[in-house]
Amino acid sequence: MEQGNSNPASNSDEARLDQLFRAYRAASPDPEASANFMPNMWTRIAARENSTNWFGRVAKTLVTAALAASVILGMMMSSMNQSSAFFNATFVDALRADHASSLEPLHLDRISQLEPE
Amino acid sequence: MLVEFDLIQKAQKGDAAAFNQIVSAYRRRIMGTISHVIGRPEDVEDVAQEVFIRLYFSLGQLRTAEVFEPWLYRLTVNASYDYLRKSRRRVESRMADLSEQQVIMADAVAGSRAQHDDTEKRRVRDTVQELLSTVSKEDRILLTLKEVEGLSLKELEKIYNVNENALKVRLFRARQRVLKKMKEVTGPSPFVAKDDEAS
Repeated sequence: MEQGNSNPASNSDEARLDQLFRAYRAASPDPEASANFMPNMWTRIAARENSTNWFGRVAKTLVTAALAASVILGMMMSSMNQSSAFFNATFVDALRADHASSLEPLHLDRISQLEPE
Repeated sequence: MLVEFDLIQKAQKGDAAAFNQIVSAYRRRIMGTISHVIGRPEDVEDVAQEVFIRLYFSLGQLRTAEVFEPWLYRLTVNASYDYLRKSRRRVESRMADLSEQQVIMADAVAGSRAQHDDTEKRRVRDTVQELLSTVSKEDRILLTLKEVEGLSLKELEKIYNVNENALKVRLFRARQRVLKKMKEVTGPSPFVAKDDEAS
């Protein structure tokens, strides 16, 4: 990673650091694995698989319960709606029922007066 | 690559013996990298096992042979990073005890060459670990892979999935910080002669 630094002091520091890293590499040989490396690794894999399976089962149960609850609620809502006149009426019917008393009677003669002669 | 892609494909299908062979082939290299990154020999095996466990559970997603090694290195980087993040406090307390430990070590040296070499190696390891502690965990890992492990920028590019220029900038900044710390720690006297003895 020398960046073309022309300062001799900086270059000397860079060289010192490179040498220090090399010394570190030499002072830290690759460690040997113990005899239990493989057995311990497989034990941990099995433990993680079990916990994953457990979470999977719980998640599956929750999803199934949520679906069942949705179906039941849907059926309940549907049966309630069928028995209600309000939900079965059309928009015009509902509007008429709500404002029947306040609507003015229709006068055809007045409409004819509005038409151009 | 240290293993054939056929072996990886067998392991993908759940062949435990094939997976064991992959682990055996890469274990030493991965443990070496972890050892240099985390600087705690007693925890290297634990972190290495974590790497291979992650490999076991993600192996099914591997499609081509070329990406296997960068992928394994990425798992190693991530597991090492997780370890460093979790053990930050432990490392800090250990650094605080460093001078005392060094004094005890120095007293214990009875003049034998082997003990002297061990002390020197330990001094180098502790010094580099202290220098690396001045940069972030991400930069510490990156710097170790480049400067200690000797990975090329091309290899790092594949591992980190970023372009070479971004890596260069990051490495340069991290190195400058380490250089600054080195000047503070080692002072004007050169390290070079002592390190030659250690190696």
